[in-house]
Amino acid sequence: MTLAIAGCDDFLSKEPDNRASLDAPEKISELLVTAYPEAGYSLFCEVMSDNVEDNPSGIQDPLNADPYFWREGTTTSQDSPENYWNGCYTAIASANHALEYIEKSGTPELFTAQRGEALVARAYSHFMLVTLFAPTYTGTGSDNVSPGVPYVTEPEKVAFKNYDRGTVKSVYEQIEKDLVEGLPLIDDKLYVTNGSATGVPKYHFTTAAAHAFASRFYLFKKDYDKVLEHSNAVFTSDVTNYLRPWNTTYASYSANDLAIAYTNSATPSNLLLCETLSSWARSFYVYRYATGANKFLTMMQRNPTWAEYQYEYSARYTNAGVYFLNKYREHFVQTGVNSNTGYPYTIVPLFTAEEVLFNRAEARIMKGNYTEALNDMNIWISTRVVNYNGMDGVWMDKLAETYPDKKNSRDVALAGLLDMKRVEFLHEGMRWFDILRHNIEVNHNVIGGKAEVLKGNDLRRVLQIPREAVATAGLAPNPR
Amino acid sequence: MNSSGYSPEYFGAVLKKTAALVLGLLLLAGAMAQAGTEYWQSNTIRGKVVAATDKQPLPGVNVSVKGTSQGTITDVNGAFQLEAGENATLVFSFIGYRPIEVPVGSRSTIDISLEEDITKLNEVTVVSTGYQEVDKRLFTGSVVNLSSAEVKTDGTMDVSRMLQGKAAGVSVQNVSGTFGAAPKIRVRGATSITGDNKPLWVVDGVVLEDVVNVSADQLTTGDPTTLIGSSVAGLNTDDIESINILKDASATALYGARAKDGVIVIKTKRGRVGQPIVTYTGNFSSYLKPSYNSFNMLNSGDQMSVYQEMERKGLLNHSDVSRGPNGGVYRKMYDLINDSYNPGDGTFGVINSDAGRREFLNRYAQANTDWFDVLFRNSFVQEHSLGISGGTEASQLYFSTSYFNDNGWTIADNVKRYTINARGTFKLSDKVTVGILTTGSARDQRVPGTVARQIDAVEGGFNRDFDINPFSYALNTSRVLTPYDANGKREFFTRNYAPFNILNEIDNNYINLDQLDLKIQGEVGYKISKSLRYDFIGAIRHVKTETQHSVREGSNMAEAYRADGSAVVRAGNKFLYYNPDYPNADPVVVLPEGGFYNRVDDKMMSYYLKNQLNWTHTINAIHAISAVAGQELRSVDRRNAFNNGYGYQFSKGGVPFTDYRIIKQLLEGNFNYFGMNNSYDRYASFFASGNYAYRGKYIVNATSRMDGSNRLGQSSGARWLPTWNISGAWNIDTEPFMEPYRWVDFLTLRAGYGLTANAGSATNSSVVFRSGTTPRPYLYDNESQIVIESLENGDLTWEKQYEANVGVNTGLFNKLTVTFDYYRRSHFDLIGVVKTSGIGGEGYKAVNYADMKSRGIDLSVGVPVYARGNWAWNTSVVFSQNKSEITNLRNEPRIIDLVFPDGGAMQGYPVRGLFSVPFRGLDGRTGVPLFTNQDGETSSNVYLQSLNTENLKYEGAIDPTITGGWSNNVKYKAFTLNVFFTYQTGNKIRLNPTFKGQYSDLDAMPREFLDRWALRGDEQYTSVPSIPALTTLAELGAVYPYNTYNYSSARVVDGSFVRLRTVSLSYALPSTLLSSTGFKNASISLTGTNLWLAYADKKLYGQDPEFFSSGGVAMPVAKQITASVKLSF
Repeated sequence: MTLAIAGCDDFLSKEPDNRASLDAPEKISELLVTAYPEAGYSLFCEVMSDNVEDNPSGIQDPLNADPYFWREGTTTSQDSPENYWNGCYTAIASANHALEYIEKSGTPELFTAQRGEALVARAYSHFMLVTLFAPTYTGTGSDNVSPGVPYVTEPEKVAFKNYDRGTVKSVYEQIEKDLVEGLPLIDDKLYVTNGSATGVPKYHFTTAAAHAFASRFYLFKKDYDKVLEHSNAVFTSDVTNYLRPWNTTYASYSANDLAIAYTNSATPSNLLLCETLSSWARSFYVYRYATGANKFLTMMQRNPTWAEYQYEYSARYTNAGVYFLNKYREHFVQTGVNSNTGYPYTIVPLFTAEEVLFNRAEARIMKGNYTEALNDMNIWISTRVVNYNGMDGVWMDKLAETYPDKKNSRDVALAGLLDMKRVEFLHEGMRWFDILRHNIEVNHNVIGGKAEVLKGNDLRRVLQIPREAVATAGLAPNPR
Repeated sequence: MNSSGYSPEYFGAVLKKTAALVLGLLLLAGAMAQAGTEYWQSNTIRGKVVAATDKQPLPGVNVSVKGTSQGTITDVNGAFQLEAGENATLVFSFIGYRPIEVPVGSRSTIDISLEEDITKLNEVTVVSTGYQEVDKRLFTGSVVNLSSAEVKTDGTMDVSRMLQGKAAGVSVQNVSGTFGAAPKIRVRGATSITGDNKPLWVVDGVVLEDVVNVSADQLTTGDPTTLIGSSVAGLNTDDIESINILKDASATALYGARAKDGVIVIKTKRGRVGQPIVTYTGNFSSYLKPSYNSFNMLNSGDQMSVYQEMERKGLLNHSDVSRGPNGGVYRKMYDLINDSYNPGDGTFGVINSDAGRREFLNRYAQANTDWFDVLFRNSFVQEHSLGISGGTEASQLYFSTSYFNDNGWTIADNVKRYTINARGTFKLSDKVTVGILTTGSARDQRVPGTVARQIDAVEGGFNRDFDINPFSYALNTSRVLTPYDANGKREFFTRNYAPFNILNEIDNNYINLDQLDLKIQGEVGYKISKSLRYDFIGAIRHVKTETQHSVREGSNMAEAYRADGSAVVRAGNKFLYYNPDYPNADPVVVLPEGGFYNRVDDKMMSYYLKNQLNWTHTINAIHAISAVAGQELRSVDRRNAFNNGYGYQFSKGGVPFTDYRIIKQLLEGNFNYFGMNNSYDRYASFFASGNYAYRGKYIVNATSRMDGSNRLGQSSGARWLPTWNISGAWNIDTEPFMEPYRWVDFLTLRAGYGLTANAGSATNSSVVFRSGTTPRPYLYDNESQIVIESLENGDLTWEKQYEANVGVNTGLFNKLTVTFDYYRRSHFDLIGVVKTSGIGGEGYKAVNYADMKSRGIDLSVGVPVYARGNWAWNTSVVFSQNKSEITNLRNEPRIIDLVFPDGGAMQGYPVRGLFSVPFRGLDGRTGVPLFTNQDGETSSNVYLQSLNTENLKYEGAIDPTITGGWSNNVKYKAFTLNVFFTYQTGNKIRLNPTFKGQYSDLDAMPREFLDRWALRGDEQYTSVPSIPALTTLAELGAVYPYNTYNYSSARVVDGSFVRLRTVSLSYALPSTLLSSTGFKNASISLTGTNLWLAYADKKLYGQDPEFFSSGGVAMPVAKQITASVKLSF
């Protein structure tokens, strides 16, 4: 019988369907296409931030209301924190399967570029998770105590597995290890396809995108020299060429043009794009808790250039009073050729040249190098202000006059920088990361009710980890 | 159980099927042998046994010397020869005949005629398991034996539908009546939460593989694939000789890891020894046209008054209606007002005044169109079946062929089917027999064109674009609309911005389905020694199905792709192409010419091999031991390929005219215009079973089987599964202490316990990668990707169940027969979808962790109520009860997953439970329905995607807990009247979703609308919501209480019904009349099927409690009248 059974194993080894198998080097590259989180963080990050306010005639949705009140989510659908958690770990699983295959192949030297991409992609997803679901890195002893997020380095092979959160410090160490090891291995040539798909490299960690990620990572880690090093590595030509031409080309764009340009792989500013399963493109301007007229005006008026941003002219508004810049275009993938239902995809720029420029400016401020920092800021201003002339730039006195409550040069420069950054990344959720890093207090108004305030030390700044991660993987929930 | 053995005189001389029985009788006879009875002198006795009725010789009759183990069997001519003393008594026994005892005396020739045993005539006493033929009295499992006569319903084409109400423990729900669609069959209820729960069909010892895998939930979708869902649709029911339904773990033990959902074993007819017998059956049926009398639709006058209310509420205003995608009479009126100015004489088609409009609408208010009359007809269905059977001792042949033609209950469908069946059994030598069996069927079917339906999770509901299902159309289309205008021309209204007329659409949008099914089977039997026998079966089956969806130019579906009349249409028409290269341009037409030619090809190749050894041995006629061991291989390859053709010009000789941009549009939407999927099933199995019977009284059986399958994926650890079973039976009536109770004809107690299994829906014992293309909007950004579909699950295993069964078979007073079974099942390792921590990278995993319990009763009782003179009345009742409860399922369903008509799975509830959003009355100001929402508040705002399901109301099970049938047979001379009811109860049904937030002037409304909320205060008297005014809708915003209302407790009714399934009257022509014609037998009959729903919940208002009105190709089972002729000569 045993013999007979052994004889049948060949017969029974037939794959039951058209599934793929990893049997060629290019298959590893194809697997790494999914090593990027196909989930959106923009919705909840934006709504938790101080970019939004209550517009009672906007559409009500728990997806939108829960983050506004920094509540634990009642839904787990796309654009929820839990969905983003799952998206990041799904991306990590792809990276880990690729890395496992490379290791077992016996010829890892054939896969150095893939290994580089896998390591950096794995580091990126973990970085986003630790930023959102664990206390913010402080650079103090508390990092050694604060629980992090599970750093997964191998494929999961059983139905239920227990994981350990580690600490913020240990997670940062692992991110840095993967990043430092992976970055030099990256080879942009890997992403060039034979066909007409010219935009493909923009969806992968190219050397530039990896440096952009490193620049963000070290900014969080407060290692400002490294920020400068990696930021400078991104810009191989004049920085202006990288920035979005808001006050020139974009100024004449229709809403559709803008949406296409903003998330296009041909746009030099976009260093890394990702298709996310998200309805943010259709929802960011319809929700109740969105950037209303008041908020939009306030943001535009907190303007250290004393000039007008092009955004004010490119903005549109809805009859619910929401102001928006049409940065996104939905890509709707129907479930059938003639079908009404399907999956909404939103293309999201994960890293842009503007962010790298701001990172460099912030590092320079932190290092006390104000002249160069203001110089960086003025490069940005030159592409954002309507009818720009040299007088629209910022200098220390002008900033000090704009922010009279700030005591020292560092705070003044930083205030100006963060305000610029805030308008630059409107709707993108990036403001939340600045709020985390700088412990900014957030005030959310409620029409006909009492405003909700998120203090600098509020425990709700850390997103709660999903219920199932507590129940089935043995993780400790974040304190509330 | 394993009593197959063959005595040399017998083997090859008579039909193989009775072999096991005869041996069983021999064993019994042997067991009865008491020591000490001796005879002094023995003579050779010869004789012949014939049937008393027709004087035909009876082969295979058991002739034994009473009190000894001696005996023989009559040969093909009914002749026998044996040695017996003068004092001996010969016992003649044969299935279905009354046994006779004859003292030998001095005779050397004894001719006997056996009388049919009326009470036992219908009782098939051999159980066919597909592996063995076992005497029913030695069979330890729970089984239902049905002869073809018991099952056959004239005019019903699909044998699976005939089983409804006929077998205890088997529930059949006709969720769609369309030819080729499978009914929902459950043997002892569902055994899996995510699996398909379909029983295994076995025809002539070979597992019948499904052409496509249609899951239980898919059966109710009405999608075109359901048409090839029934695996037995190609089987000519006249070829069926018997059906054995194996129900418990003991009965199905030899099927091991595929047996969890029961096994239905069909035996087809074989040639008989003797002169060729020709049989002809002709059925002539008509499906009766449905009528509005049985449905509660508004007539056109009432419907028009509803429209007028809508108009008053601002819902049918001129500008919106004339710019919307769909429109009926109002749309038409506004279009005429807008466009029909005749500059020649300065007149308008419709004058835009109150009077002018009223005049226009008046024609439609009085139309009262009977859509059933327009779309349905009393169809003519004919079915002819011809069979020839004959043979000699060395070779027996059976041929049959049949033709079925249904010209269509609706004007949109028709079907033809041809079958052929040829079977030869040849005895090459004393040791070797060979059988060859070829069956084939061809089907040619037309159904209305349809596309797959979609779930709309946001608003709640299903939608199917371009649905033209005639039944749904008749029920959902306003009776105000007219198919023809005043001049008798087809009148068009508007759908998808394009002209629409149902008759035109049916002519121009249709699906043709062709299926060819061929099976070739070979069998070899070799008698190695007296007690050891080797059997081989090999079969190849090849099924090709071609589904061609033709959408001709001029059809609404094609014209919708060309509707770009105004900027509003261009913005609203989703079938136009928005070109991202020109972001500021309007969408454009990309199907300028022609229509669609979409093909789906399904191909199935299956191979089956079985090698088996049977061993039987009897010691001193007391201990009967038998064993069987064998090995089996199955391999099934399925291929599904599709190809969508755009711009095919049907009217221009079939030349395609393809705009390249339609392909670009598809690719940018991440679709391919062609594709192919393969799936491969591989099974290898080893089995062994042993059976011991002591004097035919006590029987013990043990079976074990090892199954291996590729279905679980690459890991060889998960691949193999051993299953086992132990069972026993006790024939109490053979005990001495039963002697005084002569009124007990037979009494058998059975018990069994064992493990069976099925491969579940998950296939990830190793990681599953899937290739694809990135979902990015621009072609220059797209690349190939590999997605992890499921992570490796090292713990993946088969879905299993332990089953304990206790049963009694008894016959009393020569009249009453009762079969009763009680079973308990413990289902474990069931695949359930569980939400994980997500950290591994898979948010939801299909894992073997769910458990379920079920229990039930199968009871069937047969009573010959009356038999005197020319009159006889037999009645039989079948009752089955099955209750299931999910005991462990950590899934996290959304509200919307639980409230749909096909229900959802929740721990603590049956396998599929129906839940409702609790209805809390109507809002006093607007008449908008109110509910208890996910947060427990009374509100019209229910978030259907919410995970908070604790406020939902549990209504009941989807599957009936009690099902059965009641059959009555009344005979008077040559007349037989059969009246057969089926019934079910214990389930809940959701009413058709007729309520919407916004109605158009196309919608038909049920009569409930007459009771709708109209004024403040009405909420105290009615629960039918208002038609919301435009202002109310604006207030509601993105809240959809009217859709929610369809899924609320107000729209649930009881699923119990009693249905007169068939009533038939047949007349057998007397032989005196036939003698001059050359016919041996002739009978005629008239059958009415499905004529009367004797009881159902009143609130159904004509909705069929079995049928899921899902549109597409789904049709209810029609009322049918059939006239049949049966001839044999």
